[in-house]
Amino acid sequence: MAMTEKNVTKKTKPEQVQTFESGNEMAAMAAAQINYHVMGYFPITPSTEVAQYLDMMASKGMHDIELIAADGEHGSAGICFGAATTGARVFNATSANGFLYMIEQLPAQSGLRFPMVLNLVTRAVSGPLDIRGDHSDLYYGLNTGWVILTARTPQEVYDLNIMALKIAEHSDVRLPVIVAYDGFFTSHQKRKVDLFKDREPVQAFVGEAPEGYPTSINKEQPVTIGAHMNGDDLLNNHFQQSEALYRAYDVYKEVAEEYEEISGRSYSILDQYGMEDAEVALFLLNSAAESAKDVVDRLRNEGVKAGVISPNVIRPFPSEDIRQALKNVKAVLVGERADSYGANGANLTHEIKSALQEDPDNNTLVLSRVFGLGGKDFYADDAEAFFQLAIDAAATGEIEKPFDYYGIVPGKEELKLQPVIEPQTKDVYNSGLIKVTEDEETNKLKVKVPPLRQLTTKPKRFASGHGACPGCGIFPGLELFFKGIEGDAVILFHTGCGYVVTTAYPYSSHKQPFIHNLFQSGPATLSGTVEAFFEMKDRGEVDIDDDFTFVMVTGDGGMDIGMGSAIGTALRNHKMIILEYDNEGYMNTGSQMSYSTPIGHMTSTTGVGKEKQGKAFHHKDTAQIMAATNIPYVFTGTEAYPQDLIKKAAKAQWYAQNEGLVYGKLLITCPLNWKSNDRDGEKIMKAAVESCFFPLYEIERGETLITYDPEAKKKRVDLSEWLGYMGKTKHLLKEENNKLLSSFEEEVERRWKILKTKHETPLI
Amino acid sequence: MSILPKKNELGFFEIRLESIGGLGANLAGKMLAEAGVIGHGLNGSNFSSYGSEKKGSPVKSFVRYCDPDVEIRDHSPIEEPHVIGVFHEALYKMVDVVSGLKADGVVLVNTESDFETIKQDLGLEYGTVAQVDALKIANEEKTKVNTAMLGALYRILDFLDAEHMRGVIRTTFEKKYPHLVEPNLRTFDRGYNEVQFKTFDVPAEAVNKSFTRPQPRLGYETQEIGGIISAQANSIEKDLSGSRTGYLPEYRADSCIHCAQCDTVCPDYCFVWEQGEDKKGRPQMFLKGIDYQYCKGCLKCVDACPTDALADMVEEKGYADEHRVKHNFPLVSGGMK
Repeated sequence: MAMTEKNVTKKTKPEQVQTFESGNEMAAMAAAQINYHVMGYFPITPSTEVAQYLDMMASKGMHDIELIAADGEHGSAGICFGAATTGARVFNATSANGFLYMIEQLPAQSGLRFPMVLNLVTRAVSGPLDIRGDHSDLYYGLNTGWVILTARTPQEVYDLNIMALKIAEHSDVRLPVIVAYDGFFTSHQKRKVDLFKDREPVQAFVGEAPEGYPTSINKEQPVTIGAHMNGDDLLNNHFQQSEALYRAYDVYKEVAEEYEEISGRSYSILDQYGMEDAEVALFLLNSAAESAKDVVDRLRNEGVKAGVISPNVIRPFPSEDIRQALKNVKAVLVGERADSYGANGANLTHEIKSALQEDPDNNTLVLSRVFGLGGKDFYADDAEAFFQLAIDAAATGEIEKPFDYYGIVPGKEELKLQPVIEPQTKDVYNSGLIKVTEDEETNKLKVKVPPLRQLTTKPKRFASGHGACPGCGIFPGLELFFKGIEGDAVILFHTGCGYVVTTAYPYSSHKQPFIHNLFQSGPATLSGTVEAFFEMKDRGEVDIDDDFTFVMVTGDGGMDIGMGSAIGTALRNHKMIILEYDNEGYMNTGSQMSYSTPIGHMTSTTGVGKEKQGKAFHHKDTAQIMAATNIPYVFTGTEAYPQDLIKKAAKAQWYAQNEGLVYGKLLITCPLNWKSNDRDGEKIMKAAVESCFFPLYEIERGETLITYDPEAKKKRVDLSEWLGYMGKTKHLLKEENNKLLSSFEEEVERRWKILKTKHETPLI
Repeated sequence: MSILPKKNELGFFEIRLESIGGLGANLAGKMLAEAGVIGHGLNGSNFSSYGSEKKGSPVKSFVRYCDPDVEIRDHSPIEEPHVIGVFHEALYKMVDVVSGLKADGVVLVNTESDFETIKQDLGLEYGTVAQVDALKIANEEKTKVNTAMLGALYRILDFLDAEHMRGVIRTTFEKKYPHLVEPNLRTFDRGYNEVQFKTFDVPAEAVNKSFTRPQPRLGYETQEIGGIISAQANSIEKDLSGSRTGYLPEYRADSCIHCAQCDTVCPDYCFVWEQGEDKKGRPQMFLKGIDYQYCKGCLKCVDACPTDALADMVEEKGYADEHRVKHNFPLVSGGMK
């Protein structure tokens, strides 16, 4: 009878097709087929593509997932948690700093027992930023109480994503699940992948979302989610959670078996290669394990009994399986793409050692090596070197160095960095050409600036040789602003194109003191610098004849993820300038929408297709938001009106030195992602101003002044003239998008009218 | 029977495309790989060099083919390819494009130069050079360099069926941009037909071009702690002229009124000024010229110029070096003062 049943299942195996895709594409494909209810996300390399592919599929009507572009990863995790409390199926993808930014939400989600699936496309977290792959982000997740599955190939990314939801929702588990795969190596490499032709078998496999669990939207049975506890209760709560996580071990096996029945692909707890009789072995997570298998083949041809172990599950940690696998192994090298500094080995080394320690008969020697950080490639010869270390240990029965870094180089004395230019100090930047005086009558500043030609005596603040795209608008915009700043500046960029292209180690395009900090805390960081500087100066510990001007530069995409920090900094009214460059999207990560992307504009997460016509809501008005903090000076500017911008910079400096915080917003072009001609930057900026999309104005001590009025100059142009320059907005000029275009025009007009009223009425 | 003409010890036939961001080498690599895998039933993989590459920065695209029953586990970049496609001639300056080329390998170059020049530029001693003027074809057909290169690559990869790629090109453009179907097919065919080959005899004792795995300039003994860079502005040591794709601004001092509009719009700070005297003997700034080492050829300056002192120019080999006016940075060391 059982036989017959099995035969029947076999016969009705759902149809699969072959495709050639990357890990990110397969994660998106699995999510689309499952048809999750909600994805709250925020772009970060290298996971961003998952949302991009889902957006692309949405524009073709291939799924119904509500894709919510959050204000940052903290927000995205909040969206996901909130959605999960309703019993909805929830999905997310992130990497590195994004993962760390959301991490406080993760134990809450697992501890409150709401399942969801998060794809962690692994990448380095570090001091000097590195956008490529290692496992240092993943290791921060080990203690979050989530089930963690690891996928070595795009095929496995697809399969584990389907299995993950079923494990998460299982009544024995009820925990969120992370599917972790290697940034770039797995996320971006295209491979042959088999997938279910239709989504029905996938949906049948995961089934309907199980009912009977408490939700936030049950009228009949209202519940309290997230009460607070003391230790007496919390200990018991954690014990429940701990037990559930261990139960995920059996549930994984059960789900993997069921999945094998419909897919023909099996995923055991541990992936073992050559381990039947191995005497030396490598333990590697994800893609590196695959590369090492080729070396196992070669070594076995040479008579070396070599093997590779790679887990498919690391939470719960499969201790028993590892004990079994290593029973007869003389030496194992645990290679880890992360460190637990000061712990004499990274996390998995110790977990393996502790698993072995529980077997009194075990004599396996364990070596630990940190390798391949920040995307450093792992070649066959690296795997060979690892095996050699294990072979040597096995032969001698001794480990020379239990823990070490692999692949490091000492460097050569003669290649040390040498100063290239003489330090550029205040005299250099004091042109004496710019005059700012206070007009007692108007209570405003008066500024005199010379013709641009004379200002060419003033050296640039940034150096040539930066790696921006041809025609990039960031650098003319910033440089013009700094032309108006006299004396020395301390400059902070948070992460974005401007930062990345000026600081590619070991090169810097900065002449003045420069600091980088992460997205969400740029303004806060510089406010700390400002206050420390003045505090030390007050104590007489800094001997300085003239103050710095402190400038924090925010972009791409304007000012989004650091908004909370910016508002806090503004309310504290530190003596500094926040300068936003707005290129209307997160260009550094591949042109995802930001809140400053205008309505209808195409980005890689607001696609144009049958079902969608670019971004769905209007652009953020950062200048007005910041004006509401009642700081002394707010302005807008662009390279197309140089004198206007230089004057505003001079005022900004005066206010930052005498009264407090200044906020400036520059609109700049991104030819690459606006799909415009490299050479058109200035024309596009001009049209943005003359169409009143981007009015030039300032708010000085609360009073609004339009500094260039295209209507008064009889130069106003239609919004469509501006839009016509850019490939990202061409579709808006088509007849079928008339309504969308009018809505955009009306919004521009509404904001312009408000601005004019403010201009005419000093008190509002 | 395997259709692959050659294989390395893991069973792979490997291709490396060398380009700068914006020329479509990644897309070409993807299309090649897909054609092999989906169109011909091979197994394969495709990926690019990763990082925050911007338009104009060096990029690589990799394609691995193998027989359908061979598993691909290797993730690392291709070091010893059978075929190299160089999309952008000016890359020679920045990248060792032929690193690791197999002794009997083929290198395809997008250039108008002759074989001897290419051989010399690349430092090749033997092997097969394929030459195609993809830029000219793309300009004439108003299409992209990558399609012409793809055509030429198909001649080299004769185990792939060109008719299949024509079908892919057709379906790619037909729906959204039907008017681009014919020009792109012509571009592909012209690349296929116009590519020229010359084989420099491979001696029996020939070895593969040695490959060098790039090593970092600094190590743990020479990096300042915390990754600090104390050599401010050392990016001036970089040569970005390889980012240009055929055009640069020509400066005609005669008609210059020294208004500094060009300086204002230039993203790369290429304009070099010096102090002089105006007609009345007062100190005044004068535009001396352009430091082409940093010019990426965006031509914003030409449009900003109110006179005809700046004009578009098709870049000829050697022009920029000859007409470069070097920036007078306040140097402590180095030879640029």
